[in-house]
Amino acid sequence: MPARQIAFGLALVALAALGPLVGSQYHQAFLLQLFMMVALAQSWNLISGMTGYVSFGHAAFFGVGAYAGTLFIQSGFPWWLAILNGSLIALALSVPLGFLTLRLRGAYFAVAMLGLNEVARIVATLWVSLTNGGSGITLQPAILPPLTVNYYLMLALAIVATIIVARVYHSRFGLELRAIREDEGAAEMIGVNTTRGKLTAFVLSALIPGAAGTVNVMYTSYINPSSAFDPSLNIQMIVMAMFGGSGTVWGPVLGASIVMGLREMLWAQYPALHLMFLGAMLLAVVLFLPGGIISLFTRKKVVRPEVMSTGDGERRG
Amino acid sequence: MEEILDPIILGQLLIGGLLAGALYALLASGLNLVFGVMRVINIAHAEFMLVGAFGAYVLYTAFGLHPLLALFIVVPAVFGFGWFVQHALVERVVGQPMLTSLLATYGLSIVLLNIGVLIFTSDFKGVPALTGSLVFGEFVLPKPRAVAALVSIVFAVGVYLFLERTRLGKAVRAVSEHPHVATICGIDTKRIRMLTFGLAGAMAGAAGTMLSMIYSFAPESGADFIQKCFAIIVIGGMGNFAGALYGGILLGVVEAFVGGFLSTQWAEATAYLLLVLVLLIRPTGLKGAALAR
Repeated sequence: MPARQIAFGLALVALAALGPLVGSQYHQAFLLQLFMMVALAQSWNLISGMTGYVSFGHAAFFGVGAYAGTLFIQSGFPWWLAILNGSLIALALSVPLGFLTLRLRGAYFAVAMLGLNEVARIVATLWVSLTNGGSGITLQPAILPPLTVNYYLMLALAIVATIIVARVYHSRFGLELRAIREDEGAAEMIGVNTTRGKLTAFVLSALIPGAAGTVNVMYTSYINPSSAFDPSLNIQMIVMAMFGGSGTVWGPVLGASIVMGLREMLWAQYPALHLMFLGAMLLAVVLFLPGGIISLFTRKKVVRPEVMSTGDGERRG
Repeated sequence: MEEILDPIILGQLLIGGLLAGALYALLASGLNLVFGVMRVINIAHAEFMLVGAFGAYVLYTAFGLHPLLALFIVVPAVFGFGWFVQHALVERVVGQPMLTSLLATYGLSIVLLNIGVLIFTSDFKGVPALTGSLVFGEFVLPKPRAVAALVSIVFAVGVYLFLERTRLGKAVRAVSEHPHVATICGIDTKRIRMLTFGLAGAMAGAAGTMLSMIYSFAPESGADFIQKCFAIIVIGGMGNFAGALYGGILLGVVEAFVGGFLSTQWAEATAYLLLVLVLLIRPTGLKGAALAR
């Protein structure tokens, strides 16, 4: 990774670490949400931005991790173990799912992921003995760490997610993933084990959302099926990653910051209008600026839509 | 348990499943038609259905128009809307990798859904235009469901015959099979794609109008239906029009039995479990698929 980017990253981290010292509760809460979205958008970026396999169901890993972590905390385990557990359960879900869907080309994966979040929500609602169904679980604030700790935990997740993306991006493995995105058939032909590559990226991309789900519950102290498996979370992470620039290291950070900033200024009162706006943004970016905002700044050629392949191989039309 | 194995109850579940399945078949075959012709999975397909449903709702509440008559207004309107969407948006992503078209139609579905929320709020609506039941011996057919199934079958078979028997339908199939060769043969592929998207929209609109008589619906209802559609087209083979018809009927019946034996909530998850099951056993769909490789 270029030294300039490392310096830039360190400066950002230093700035973020000062947050609790200078900011009010409100600012901390906002930044915590921002870090969460950076972590989620980066995770999405890892599978979808790198390989071109669009995941429409990443919120499911967030929700499953959130439940796994919550149940651990409820049973008296320390919160750091709960975060680990959230991450591992999300991973445990991603392995069979990835195995099922990633052997196939793009379309099947997208179709399978789109329903995952909804099914997970139904299961969480029906499995009352475990999740207390629709009434949800409230954690006693006394056993939860204070806001500042959650703040640093979420910041750490955003940093780890960005580091994973950066490491992958600049590695041979990252090149393999991008080769899959550009032309899966050709990648296979030059000896890339495409199924293993996709599966590894997918499993890696499930880890952070699982942990972020747990930290989010530690922050809100409440979980129910619709808060854990919130479909608008999928929309948000996709829009943020695409808007900033998917398949890049800094795109999702930039996208999350801009979209969260806009949301804070425009949103609160008008949820429907806000989501409509996000949908329109996604449409506009996909059609007119496929490289995202970051492509306006980087002079290097950013991936154009024609080469962002899901490996469908044949060109139509 | 003994009661539920009663042949009359089983028959009733089967009837219910077939009736629901006909509606699914109409909806999913439109999605598959678009996929077959331009390799675009239209995630906003269920929102087109809801455009039809809300159209019927507005016509019913404002003018007292019966949904069966509303079909004559709603279907052409959604056809035109589909034509326009293809012209303005989808045409730009045809021939591009799936990531692009998936994200574009996903964005479109979010926009449409939230326009729906802004206009109609998230409250559930219904069009109680038709009530009562037809009784055949031991079996009961609720009238709205029977009518909806009948209209769905007529529509789906009509489009099937259009594709198989007419010159224009042949052109659609030609573009589906090989767009380049179709162009060389003098077919205006862009026009065919607009026709296809309009047609798929019209089918979704008809399904939505029928749906408005049976279920209560809200702008957010699309998510359940698009999931069902995905299961159906994976079962029937992606891009295979007739496959979607079988797949729709199959899903309707399986859902009815799951609902009858377990609970209606599990029935909601049936489509997804079926999708995963098919991917497990026969990853390219039960009937050969366009994306087999």
